[in-house]
Amino acid sequence: MSTPAISIQNLTKVYPIPFKKEKVTAVKDLSLTVEPGQVYGLLGPNGSGKSTTMKIVLGLVSPTSGRTEIFGRDSDTVESREDVGFLPENPYFYKYLTGEETLHFYGKLCGLSRSKIRERSKELLKLVGLENAADRRLGGYSKGMLQRIGLAQAMIQEPRLLVLDEPTAGVDPAGSREIRDLILDFKHRGITVLLCSHLLEQVQEICDRVGILDHGVLIREGKLTDLISIESQTEIILENAPPALLAEIRSLVARSSAQVIEERKPQKTLERYFLDVTSPKKP
Amino acid sequence: MTASPAATQHKAFSPARIAAIASNTFLELVRLKVFYFLLLFALISILISFFASSLKIHEQFQVLKDVSLGGMSVFTWLLAVLATAMLLPKDIEDRTLYTILAKPVPRFEYLLGKFFGILSLLFVAISLMSVFFVAILYFRESVALSEAVATTPPNELAGELAAIRAHAFNSNLVPGIALIYLKSALCAAFTLLISTFASSSIFTTIVSFIVYIIGHVQPVARAAYLDAANPSPLLKDFLALVAIMIPDLNALTMVDDIVVGNAVPLALFIKIFLLGSTYVCVYFGIGFLIFWGKEL
Repeated sequence: MSTPAISIQNLTKVYPIPFKKEKVTAVKDLSLTVEPGQVYGLLGPNGSGKSTTMKIVLGLVSPTSGRTEIFGRDSDTVESREDVGFLPENPYFYKYLTGEETLHFYGKLCGLSRSKIRERSKELLKLVGLENAADRRLGGYSKGMLQRIGLAQAMIQEPRLLVLDEPTAGVDPAGSREIRDLILDFKHRGITVLLCSHLLEQVQEICDRVGILDHGVLIREGKLTDLISIESQTEIILENAPPALLAEIRSLVARSSAQVIEERKPQKTLERYFLDVTSPKKP
Repeated sequence: MTASPAATQHKAFSPARIAAIASNTFLELVRLKVFYFLLLFALISILISFFASSLKIHEQFQVLKDVSLGGMSVFTWLLAVLATAMLLPKDIEDRTLYTILAKPVPRFEYLLGKFFGILSLLFVAISLMSVFFVAILYFRESVALSEAVATTPPNELAGELAAIRAHAFNSNLVPGIALIYLKSALCAAFTLLISTFASSSIFTTIVSFIVYIIGHVQPVARAAYLDAANPSPLLKDFLALVAIMIPDLNALTMVDDIVVGNAVPLALFIKIFLLGSTYVCVYFGIGFLIFWGKEL
């Protein structure tokens, strides 16, 4: 059995309130495992403990009790971060650096050689579609471009785990889709992703497993398809079905113990429709 | 590109990582246009040089040195406090701190890199101010020498020229400028300490200003109090504690002595330098301990 990408065991985090006796429990006895190669969605309303959990995994916050590990190494250790890339929510980075300089800066922090930094920067700028903006200062980047350079910096040292906090927050639908496609690309390369997002539709599209936190407690956890499928119902989507065939199906259903709950034309998502009407027309 | 274990071997301490953070911090501060302070310094020095020209020769140089060294001391202190106070809060607010510490960067290296970035900025600032100060001093000396040649009787000329040269630039100024730099480094270290737990840069700046004032007035206050009849033992201990926590900033720079031309004995210079450096290290060390346990 391979070492889990993330292992969280009986994690509890309690924050004291200054000048008061009361304390706030941000995370309560949380245990979960993210296997290598998975895209794991950590969901929950605001204040549910998602960010605290993420920060503990990254070693930015110490747990009150319990233990977190990244590929078998304690999150408290600096070495565990060799295998992690992190993109926080609404990152700003240093505005006076160009896209390429930003990647060089983070590459140096990871101890990469100059030649490796050059090679990785070129590769990542191409991957995130910022080759033409490599020499522009980040102060002139759009929100979507900042998120993409953020993903590139997270990937600079070729980590096996990516932790993404609301990676598409504030990004327009086209930019959001580009980031979603990048995450799927990382998944195909075998990179594990821990994703925190409020965009449930997007989570549904890319995550293999999800955990739902509420008031610091993990209330649901499992494979996405298992969690959201309705076991007692079946969906059949037909194309170019003649009216006679549909009538026959209806009569078959009527003769059985089953019943038709709903019959309708499938709809494309609003996001797909928006992208279809706003994307440049091909000649 | 596939997912495989990290290719780099983690180093517990890396000067390269510290240098990367320090050079980036230096660039960040330069981009904030902090060098406008230097323009103000240059302007004040030129104005003083101009207005002092009506005084006697030795008074001219004394005023020029007094104002320029005082200006250097105040501007490097302001630069140290204002630049240091915004560094950590800005990195936290912009979340760049998270992206840095989520890399294999120990908190000690991050803080040291930030501090070295500030020290580099202060070094460049004081170097530029010194170059400008020496240039004005040299200019005034040249003018004074020319005037002396034109107006002094030949039998007194040699003595007059020697007097002018003695009042103009002399090597005593170098340790004086080094001590001004040390004082600014000490103020930067203290400001960094406060910013590791303060919730805003305004609070950090105000506390640093107060400490600067205490550092300058506490020897006078302490002496006045201890000279009084029946000093309270509790207050005496408190004053001793303040004296330990905050060094005597007047003694640290010795600007007054240097301006009047007194040489700083090497042994005294080394003693003051070591004392100041110890305070810098202690302030930084306490700051690191607080930052180490900080919940981000």
